[in-house]
Amino acid sequence: MSLIEVHDLEVHYPIRSGFWNRVTDEVLAVDGVSLSIEAGETYGLVGESGSGKSTTGKSIVGLEKPTHGQVIYKGKDITKSANRQKLDYNQDVQMIFQDSLSSLNPRKRIEDIIAEPLRNFGKLSKDEEKLRVLQLLDIVGLDADALYKYPHQFSGGQRQRIGVARAVATNPKLIVADEPVSALDLSVQAQVLNFMKKIQRDFNVSYLFISHDLGVVRHMCDNIAIMHRGRIVEMGTRDDIYNHPMHIYTRRLLSAIPETSVAHREEARAKREAVEKEFQENQQRYYDKDGKVLPLLDVTSTHKVALPADEVAKLQREAD
Amino acid sequence: MAQNDPLNKKSSISAEDLTRLSKEAEATATPSSRQIIWKEFKADKIALTSAIIVVGFILFVIIASFFIPAGSYKAVNIMDYFNKPFTPDFWLGADSSGRSVAKLLIVGSRNSIGIAIGLTLISGTFGIAYGLISGYFGGMTDMIMSRIYDFMLMLPTLMFIIVLVTIIQNYNAITLTLILSLFQWMGSSRLIRSRALAESRKDYVAASKTSGTSNFKIIFREIMPNISSLIIVEMTLAFAGNLGVETGLSFLGFGLPNGTPSLGTLIANATDPTNITQYWWTWLFAALEIIVLCLAVSYVGQALRRSADASQRLGDK
Repeated sequence: MSLIEVHDLEVHYPIRSGFWNRVTDEVLAVDGVSLSIEAGETYGLVGESGSGKSTTGKSIVGLEKPTHGQVIYKGKDITKSANRQKLDYNQDVQMIFQDSLSSLNPRKRIEDIIAEPLRNFGKLSKDEEKLRVLQLLDIVGLDADALYKYPHQFSGGQRQRIGVARAVATNPKLIVADEPVSALDLSVQAQVLNFMKKIQRDFNVSYLFISHDLGVVRHMCDNIAIMHRGRIVEMGTRDDIYNHPMHIYTRRLLSAIPETSVAHREEARAKREAVEKEFQENQQRYYDKDGKVLPLLDVTSTHKVALPADEVAKLQREAD
Repeated sequence: MAQNDPLNKKSSISAEDLTRLSKEAEATATPSSRQIIWKEFKADKIALTSAIIVVGFILFVIIASFFIPAGSYKAVNIMDYFNKPFTPDFWLGADSSGRSVAKLLIVGSRNSIGIAIGLTLISGTFGIAYGLISGYFGGMTDMIMSRIYDFMLMLPTLMFIIVLVTIIQNYNAITLTLILSLFQWMGSSRLIRSRALAESRKDYVAASKTSGTSNFKIIFREIMPNISSLIIVEMTLAFAGNLGVETGLSFLGFGLPNGTPSLGTLIANATDPTNITQYWWTWLFAALEIIVLCLAVSYVGQALRRSADASQRLGDK
């Protein structure tokens, strides 16, 4: 059984306008997302900004109230706050935020920041708590002298590692990492990602890894879902997505990964242009008449794609 | 802690290292807020002088007023009618009833400052809590709470206070403070709400929520410290303003009950043209006191605000 299952999740925001400030329209931030995360795996959620990937993550942690759909954990629907309280849900599901500075309270010392979940979910004595904070700092590669400092005294990478330490503090089963490295420069990105991988090996924690960076996702994730316009356009294993992309949006994202070989510059450019041309010409084939993403259909046992039924049947035959 | 805790196996730090590492951490610790405030006052001599003046003066009037029996500043003595100031018996002269202006000033200052402090504390505490709750929860709660203080703001405050003071037969400094507090909390509440609204959308609040912290704790332990600079400035300015509220009411004759001295009743002497030109000592000292106090309080407030905001600090240089 999966660790956590998301069924048909929808988050719609009302748009109010006019003299009476009535609801005139809705933003479909997340519009029917279903996925399931296994214990110990890293699940990648990829998409452009505004595609609803962060909102999906926040709904799974319980920060956003979905308008429809369920998130099932241990057989309970945790979109209801009563169920979250009963399960001590956030002891098992934690979050790493994108902005490392604003996610750490500027008025609190590092000790108090990392100890906050410990104080709320556990009953540790003062010394045990301090020891645990020191161990957590050690795990993310920070020295003991960080204990009584404030967040603004650290660099971006160090702050993000403090955020990782806080998320790991309660020994969670799942950590939702909302673009954890997109605000960091490349050398620091690798450092933080390696700490996250090490923690996964040591504690057998699952990640829901939200990112727009396909290079990073390839390094981190076992299974990947590509989101566009609030829906999933394609989901599958790393191999499915990177070596057999089917949806035009996935192909566009993949062709946007920068390549650093000068020799193949023209070649890569021609490839990008071909993908873009296909998207411009055949858009109506990949989206329905309102521009919405089509329902997901199985191609193989692991690979799903949002394409018309006849197209999928053709692809299935090719796969066999 | 349980022995099979994965952390114990994965981290090289064990219980034996705790004291050593704690000491290391303390050696490099950032100074506490109290040390920062003290540094800030040491760097700004005007603020330090102001703080000494304000605290010293408040202590002085409170202690000195215990040694002035009520009879000595209430009794009318026609022989000392408008006695000149700077004489051995009357340091600051006497008023039209022959009462010592110095004694009236001390007792009056105690009354006025006491009311201002009480008013600031009561209305400030309520206003800040109201604004924080309104801003944090947002949505419908915010909507209803905002309309309530909009309604309160619309009321003609001065008229209400005057009517209430006239209706209530036996009132004293405490009841007056409570009546004034009813109409003074909205300003700070509105200001705090706007900041709390912005602050509670930040990620650290979301992080606290996922860490299982209760709403009440998030409001008062997470958000409030982050807007403390605003609160300090608001409270010091409110104190200076509240000094004026009671003084103004007493000046109009609706403040403290008749015969109770206050800064306002002393300044009210200046409504008489002969007092202004000839008997200046009856009102000038009270007016000077208010100016000096308000100025000093705002200097103290500025220094406190700078110490709360790392980018404005003078003490670090």
